[in-house]
Amino acid sequence: MKDIKRVAIANRGEVAVRIIKACEELGLETVLLHSDVDRGSRAFRMATHKVCIGGAPSSESYLNIENNVQGAMAGGADAIHPGFGFLSENADFAEACGKAGLVFIGPSPQSIRLLGDKISCKKLAQRAGLPLVPGYEGEDQSVKTLLAEIEKIGLPVIIKAAAGGGGRGMKLIRAMSEAQTQIESAQRESKAAFGSDKVFVEKYLDRAKHIEFQIFGDSSGHVQHLFDRECSVQRRHQKIIEEATSPSLTDDLRRQMGEMAASIGQLAQYKGAGTVEFLLQDGKFFLLEVNTRLQVEHPVTEEVMGIDLVKMQLQTAQGKFIFPKNFSNRPQGHSIECRVYAEDPFKNGMPSTGLLGTVSWPEGPRRRYEFGFEKGDTITSFYDPMIAKVIVWDQTRTAAIQKMIQVLQEATVFGVHTNIPYLIAILSHGEFINGTMTTRFIETHFTDGLTIDAKKTVERKDLAKKAWQNLKQEKSQSTTGEKFVLSPWSGFWRGV
Amino acid sequence: MKSEIIGKTLWIKHNGETWATDLSELDEQYKSSTKKKTASADQILAPMPGKITKINVSAGQSVQIGDVLIVMEAMKMEYTLKSEIKAEVSEVKVAANQQVTLGELLVKLKPQ
Repeated sequence: MKDIKRVAIANRGEVAVRIIKACEELGLETVLLHSDVDRGSRAFRMATHKVCIGGAPSSESYLNIENNVQGAMAGGADAIHPGFGFLSENADFAEACGKAGLVFIGPSPQSIRLLGDKISCKKLAQRAGLPLVPGYEGEDQSVKTLLAEIEKIGLPVIIKAAAGGGGRGMKLIRAMSEAQTQIESAQRESKAAFGSDKVFVEKYLDRAKHIEFQIFGDSSGHVQHLFDRECSVQRRHQKIIEEATSPSLTDDLRRQMGEMAASIGQLAQYKGAGTVEFLLQDGKFFLLEVNTRLQVEHPVTEEVMGIDLVKMQLQTAQGKFIFPKNFSNRPQGHSIECRVYAEDPFKNGMPSTGLLGTVSWPEGPRRRYEFGFEKGDTITSFYDPMIAKVIVWDQTRTAAIQKMIQVLQEATVFGVHTNIPYLIAILSHGEFINGTMTTRFIETHFTDGLTIDAKKTVERKDLAKKAWQNLKQEKSQSTTGEKFVLSPWSGFWRGV
Repeated sequence: MKSEIIGKTLWIKHNGETWATDLSELDEQYKSSTKKKTASADQILAPMPGKITKINVSAGQSVQIGDVLIVMEAMKMEYTLKSEIKAEVSEVKVAANQQVTLGELLVKLKPQ
């Protein structure tokens, strides 16, 4: 086993910060592999060493295998943590790291290929006797064949990127008239996000819950499940709110699904953190996919289980992490995560970019903030819109929901619009509160995002006018004799 | 209440809600300086900064209501810009793979 002293991070934003913190706690140095435009980020300011690996478009930097490997070597790293998204589930990348003498922090290239490619994963699951959602996973990727297969499976169907995850390259088809456009769009998005336009088709379960199990393979080869999360609140197949544990599982279902999740991992000789995703409808569950990486929503598992998955990943790569023989941790209390996206909920989720002003995340017990950007950093259109994650823990689900709403109301983000009002509306919705939401929750209740009534618009404008007058007055008083010039970066504050 | 000016926008946080108001809406002084193009059915502007991924039309072509004119990408999501009118395309101002800014003119249409 190679001694690891310095870890390269092939990622950006909040997850890069998360990995740096875990490395620091283990006494490891870090090398941030970053793009041109990511010098203005928290991870850049925190990392021990930095290597620029290319231009802003992901294809030139974060998705470029050669540049990442070269960058890690140049930075003197012994290992690479891929985070999530980008190259994290790319077996060629894991292999290239190995060839260059770098420890890839994650499963072996073989395990990634077996589970990460959804088509071979399904074949493995079939061998293991796991229930699957009906679908097409063939090699023939012509639009004509895909259309014929869609007819065969029956609408509605979902098109997915074979190499994907996180909602990119995923399209829901409800009418044959829109099928061709949607297939082409899925292929383009998949190519752009993952470098492969291979897709597959699956029957769409229209009142299912998304339940997933965290699995972890330790240094000795033992794979353990670390209980479940529910991520039914999704928009365009991208998760928005996640929680641990699921409010929908009976003890019996939890036991069955957990055992199955661990056994797939064991079959694939899985090492490190992974996630087995299921759809649950009418008490029946189906395997959705296996994600061979750390998950965005890993903190909710950490909160209820009292563990640190990223440290466990690093220690497993060092050959030092083995589950105790009598490992019997059970989830305690309830944890919720909200993804904060830079978008305008009053404009149907339109991306919002720009220079960040004040960003504040109020402290309190069992409130956790994972964020990658601070005041003075710029949110660009090149990457994913997720700028932060807010995680809370409390004794019960009800208390955790109440706490999350309070925390979101206290948080401040100036400079880009965020989905915070949208998150609060979801958390306050009866169906979310009673835990019966399905993956169609958003499209059923929040199709057009949020609207703002005319009265409120007027109120806001009046308040803005007052605030502006006050700011002007204050500025002119404090800078007597100086001409009042508004610089593009003149943040000033007042309490009213 | 918290407030802060960023660029030419006033950001306010009040009673747990955050909103932004353009200074041009608050002060005469900023009105003249912001010559904003406004989107209309015959002028297709970029609704956000991003990259043009697909151009479906060319000059001279006629389009129907709902026809896809341009597909663009920002923050890893695709957005489709459709025609709201029956028209002839008079000019396409951008090329595929081009990076565009917010409010940039993409396509000019001649209503029919």
